[in-house]
Amino acid sequence: MAVTAKSLPQARPHAKGHEDPREQLMFDPKPRGEMNAMVLESMHTATWKFWTLAGVLTVLVLTCFVYAWYYLIVQGLGVAGVNRPVFWGIFLVNTVFWIGISHAGTFISAILRVLKVEARRPFTRAAELMTTFGLVQAGASIFMHMGRVWLAYWLFPYPNERGLWPDFHSPLMWDFLAINTYLLCSTMYLFLPLIPDLAMVRDQSKGPLKIFYRVLSLGFRGTENEWKNLQTAMNIFAFAIIPVMFSVHTIVSWDFAMATRPGWSSTVFGPYFVIGALHSGMAAVAIVLFMIRSTMKNMKYFLRPEHFDFLGKLMLMVSMAWAYFYFNDYLVPWYGGDKWEKLFAEFIEKGPLWYLWYIMLICNIAVPWLTLWNKNWRRTPWLLAIIGFFINVGMWLERYVIIPEGLTINRMPFTWRIYIPAVEIYLTIGTLSLFFLLYLLASRVIPLIPVWEVQEGQKAHMLRKVGKAEIPTLSEME
Amino acid sequence: MTDKISRRDFLKLAGVGAATTAVLTGCGPASRYVTREPYVKMPEYTYNGLSTYYATTCRECSAGCGLIVRTFQGRAIKVEGNQNNPVNLGKTCARGQISLHGLYNPDRVQNPGKHVRGENVFSSDKGAGFQELTWLDVTNIVADALTKNQPDEVAFLVGMAPDHLFDLVTDLTQTIGAPAPVRFGALGMFEARTTLMKAAQELFGQSGLPFFDIGNADLVISFGANFLETWLSPVAQTRGYSQLRKGKNGRRGYFVQLEPRMSQTGAKADEWVPLAAGSEAPVALAIGRLLAEARGISLPPAFANADVNAALSAAGVNPESIQHLVDLITASERPVFIPGGAALAQNNGLQTAEAVLALNAFVGNLGQSGGVFLSAIAPLADEYHRPASAKEMADFVGKLKSGRVKTLFIHGVNPVFELPKSLGFADALANVPQVISFATFPDETAVQADYVFPDHHSLESWGYQKVATGASSSVLSGSQPVIVPFFNTKSTVDVLLAAAQQAGGSLAAALPFKDEVEFLQSKLVNLINESDGFFSAPEINTFTAYFQQHGGWWKTTDDRVAPSSADVLNRSLNAAAARLDGDGEFFFVPFVSPILGEAGANKPWLQEVPDPTTTVMWNTWVEINPDTAAKLGVDNGDVVKVTSAYGEVEASVYKYPAIRPDTIAMPFGQGHTAYGQFAQGRGVNPADLFGASMNEAGDLAFAGLRVRVEKTGKTKPLARMESALGVYGFDAK
Amino acid sequence: MSTDLSVPVFTNQSEEELGGKWGMVIDQDLCTGCQACVAACSMENNIPFVGETDAAYGRSIQWIRIERFWQGSFPEVKMTPYQPMMCQQCHNAPCEPVCPVFASVHSASEDINLQVYNRCVGTRYCANNCPYQVRVFNWRDYADARVRPELVTLQNQLNPDVTVRRRGVMEKCTFCIQRIRHTEDVAKSEGREIRDGEVVPACAQACPADAIIFGRIDDPNSRVSQAGLASRGYHQLEELNLLPRVTYLKGESNNGSNG
Repeated sequence: MAVTAKSLPQARPHAKGHEDPREQLMFDPKPRGEMNAMVLESMHTATWKFWTLAGVLTVLVLTCFVYAWYYLIVQGLGVAGVNRPVFWGIFLVNTVFWIGISHAGTFISAILRVLKVEARRPFTRAAELMTTFGLVQAGASIFMHMGRVWLAYWLFPYPNERGLWPDFHSPLMWDFLAINTYLLCSTMYLFLPLIPDLAMVRDQSKGPLKIFYRVLSLGFRGTENEWKNLQTAMNIFAFAIIPVMFSVHTIVSWDFAMATRPGWSSTVFGPYFVIGALHSGMAAVAIVLFMIRSTMKNMKYFLRPEHFDFLGKLMLMVSMAWAYFYFNDYLVPWYGGDKWEKLFAEFIEKGPLWYLWYIMLICNIAVPWLTLWNKNWRRTPWLLAIIGFFINVGMWLERYVIIPEGLTINRMPFTWRIYIPAVEIYLTIGTLSLFFLLYLLASRVIPLIPVWEVQEGQKAHMLRKVGKAEIPTLSEME
Repeated sequence: MTDKISRRDFLKLAGVGAATTAVLTGCGPASRYVTREPYVKMPEYTYNGLSTYYATTCRECSAGCGLIVRTFQGRAIKVEGNQNNPVNLGKTCARGQISLHGLYNPDRVQNPGKHVRGENVFSSDKGAGFQELTWLDVTNIVADALTKNQPDEVAFLVGMAPDHLFDLVTDLTQTIGAPAPVRFGALGMFEARTTLMKAAQELFGQSGLPFFDIGNADLVISFGANFLETWLSPVAQTRGYSQLRKGKNGRRGYFVQLEPRMSQTGAKADEWVPLAAGSEAPVALAIGRLLAEARGISLPPAFANADVNAALSAAGVNPESIQHLVDLITASERPVFIPGGAALAQNNGLQTAEAVLALNAFVGNLGQSGGVFLSAIAPLADEYHRPASAKEMADFVGKLKSGRVKTLFIHGVNPVFELPKSLGFADALANVPQVISFATFPDETAVQADYVFPDHHSLESWGYQKVATGASSSVLSGSQPVIVPFFNTKSTVDVLLAAAQQAGGSLAAALPFKDEVEFLQSKLVNLINESDGFFSAPEINTFTAYFQQHGGWWKTTDDRVAPSSADVLNRSLNAAAARLDGDGEFFFVPFVSPILGEAGANKPWLQEVPDPTTTVMWNTWVEINPDTAAKLGVDNGDVVKVTSAYGEVEASVYKYPAIRPDTIAMPFGQGHTAYGQFAQGRGVNPADLFGASMNEAGDLAFAGLRVRVEKTGKTKPLARMESALGVYGFDAK
Repeated sequence: MSTDLSVPVFTNQSEEELGGKWGMVIDQDLCTGCQACVAACSMENNIPFVGETDAAYGRSIQWIRIERFWQGSFPEVKMTPYQPMMCQQCHNAPCEPVCPVFASVHSASEDINLQVYNRCVGTRYCANNCPYQVRVFNWRDYADARVRPELVTLQNQLNPDVTVRRRGVMEKCTFCIQRIRHTEDVAKSEGREIRDGEVVPACAQACPADAIIFGRIDDPNSRVSQAGLASRGYHQLEELNLLPRVTYLKGESNNGSNG
């Protein structure tokens, strides 16, 4: 980092109705040491509220996750609401939901990094963490779903004396491998950009913590060569993880699309699921950023309304794309004229659970379309978080409509049955609690803001005069 | 076979070879006592890992179907039909299949004991209501009851199965001069056997149970006969139905059912004519009249009273459907008309039976293939001993009430549950000082007993069943134990024989048998010289061995009797519709649950077998036409109160599309207040609604009721196999 | 070097369609819906009862169920012919490729679909993918007498030839594979082929109306092959081309309506 960027002028006060392209670039740099201290302070400041919340979440995890799962394993799936024909219930809804959530992390981080979108800088870390912790919930939900989870290791292609091997024809096997790959990649991808920040924390801490961070930061000292290698590794991962990310959710969709079921067997499911995942994932990022911003110290400097604004635009765009695919998912079966597909559509619209379908559409389309066009609303973090919440409810319901409701309608009307969740509700609360608890604990251990990345951005920006206008540009360093 | 046999193959083949020789071993003459043996002394045919098969007889109803029970190291594993038995030819019904759940039922009475009346306790571990006794005590108690009482102070009430016990009790009562044993069974009541026999007696002048040759007919017109469900001999009749459909020369037999509620049998009919309950007799006579007109022959006196318009308005059906029936009959070569079930359970039930039998006579099928016969009389029987009618039961209850009976022995029947409350059986028991029950299961009657001396389950028992109907030949189905008795139970025949010996005197002399097998042999010895049997033997021990091995003895001849048609059509028959009891707005059609029968509720798997028409499991329901339900403001699962002049019950609604809007129906079989954990407190008993009105033959007019239906506001969804959503639409509950 | 240029011969039936080994014919005209097959199947195959609550919720474990629907409303109401549904033993079974652990496999020697209980991990994908919805799952330990004390005596009835399944395992009709294997072994020990009608599954054995016929469909003279030729014959969900091995004979009762 031998570039010495010239100091930038203060950003002009925000003018209403006029978007200053420089806003996202955080043209108000602070000295490096101060910024490091700000992040460290945010890590180490914990009020009683924090510990109360952590305690409540721990209790919830112990009861709704650990105990409920134990109960489920000991009693069998009879304590859940699954039946014939709804063999897959909320566990798989949660799985798809969490994988979807985990999508946005990588999307924001990798794609935006590759595309060099500057607005990404302060919140890549938060999004990547969401990916990893979301995948943990997705994996847990899959295991909850299994009838004999104690034999789950049979899904691994491990050598054994009986020569038994998993069936690579099975979409579930693809799913299993894809999720594992994704978890591995996303963890690495989370870790690589974390190294300089960990080194920074190491340098600022004392005692046993220092040893801890020393191990984690792999001896990173910030030499030119280390930076170069790190950048190369990150670039490789950023490019490599994008196809993994798209394939994971496509493969998740194949669990459904490959089945011979009305409502499931659809070629559009791959991109449709990817967009759906982004839809819920973006919304989840908005929620998480709002929480970080409003609860952690010094975060208002890093996470600004203009970042939310950017996120809001993305959400609106993804919502429109999702709506297109959802419409498409209707159009194709309508064109095909299959009677079972028609029945399924009729069931979700007019059946006993019709309201779920309407809530889903309102949350996924009406809410973002009616709000996110407004710049001021986009720039209001709490509002964006609420919109994000609605979108997540909508996307969860979308999976609910596809999975348990889709299973209700099959080609044997004699067996149709409505699914009534039971212990799944507790376990859903349990996974949510575990997600937030992990996030909460992580916020104590690692910097949620990639400080070096923000600093890099600030340093790399400059204003060039083209005629009379000042155009923000990047230096050649990236 | 290939040249190479692996070690694994060899072992398999060695096992198989032994298995095939073990099939149908039966018990030899020497093994008539089933004893517990240590494994080191295992009988030669009981190899580890190989099955042994025993032929015996099903006693889930009294039809007498032959069974082959697969046993495996002393356990009964599977019930199959006995392919040789002419009644069922290797087939079984659901009840027969699940009889193993009776055998291994956890709620069986496991020890003999003295019982406190009214206590639902049958084990001394469970409370003071039951005090265990030894079988020696039992012998003394029974002997005392037989000797210390005056002969007319002893009464026996036995079920429709097994027949050997009935024979023994008949011999016993004759010897001591007591009144003959009374037989009863709810199925006999619901089938209206007495009415059928009485109608045959009056029309043909011959006694016997009518036999309807469904299989060889080409048109079956059934007036409410549920012959595919529980009526008379359902497995045999289902076989007949199968033959009817397969048809002769590729011509498929046609089947029309006339009944107010589409039963399982009605569901298999090509046409269902929903006539009103109680209008069967006028409709049958109207058909006769129209038929005579169609054929252009003079109207026989039997149909002279028929009034077509009155019949149609009473039945509430349109004239075309009746005319269509007449056309069908005219076009048919071998039509047969079957009266049965709820149609006979009216105060004019006897007229209905006679009118329908007269139709048979009119088309000339009496004694013809595909027509009406009188059932073959079983071996060892002089005639068919029918169960008591409701009238006779009412007389019996009156006798109990009068206090003349000091000791009542009850075996194989559960009258407290099965008889209508209005007959007051339970109250009458209070006037009997000593009630001795031989119940295998802790049923409601055993709850009212002073002593319970549990009999073996039928699969642990010896015996025979004289087949009443179903086969064209004369059949005696034989029973033998397939396993060692599972609990500390004792055969009732052995108890009575031991008591007779204990009593001494003329009784001991008249029943000089060491045990049940010796008693059975004393009866079977009459058959060894019969020439037209399925097998014969030079002496009784060999004969008994064959009898056990084949599961009975039957003739190879057609022993059905052709009824005399001489006078049938010359009697004038009454064309009045039934008079109904009560003032409610609905006809009430109770029916025996096709799955549970009258005594299946204690078998958990039978509870979980879906009802064929509604697919309801584990409960009682009220069938109401959807339009009527809408008028009443009730939906599926809503609990309604059904009130007759004699009682009321509450059950959940099933909106049944195939029932007249003015009719409701309920299955009989649930609503036990005792009878084990699977039966107790489950559903309701529609017999609580029955009155005491009877038809002229003395059978209960249980379907001649009008009831009121009220909404209770409670809801209890029914467990259904079907999806209401898929079968009745998205808005169905 | 020469290249084989001969054009392959096309028939209107695929090779698989002509093949197969065991098959069943169910005559809906004869089926009276008496449920004897359901009872016989449960007794033969150690199928536990699940109790009222679970049965009401669609969890009853019945390998064969009898379906019926209604047409019209009173008084023109008709019940469609009873339709016993059990595993159709498809040749192209959709349940097989979706199992990640090969618990749902095709038997090469018997050409039927098998469920390996020991291998099943309970993902339930096979059941979702079965268009006939004939797979059932052990939602609880229904057959475990330690959990259900009422089974302590009832479990004496269990058939030693059939595995008792614990919770978390999928199961389905096996065409009574234990009977098939036993009969095959008997025939082998006697050095002969299996005779027609020698293997009888529990349902066919019990059926009082003789509506279920079982046998070798690769033998054109067998009773089941002959019965399957009837013009009333059809396959359930034929349009999916799963090549089911159960042929239904259309019920003619109830005004000739087709289930």
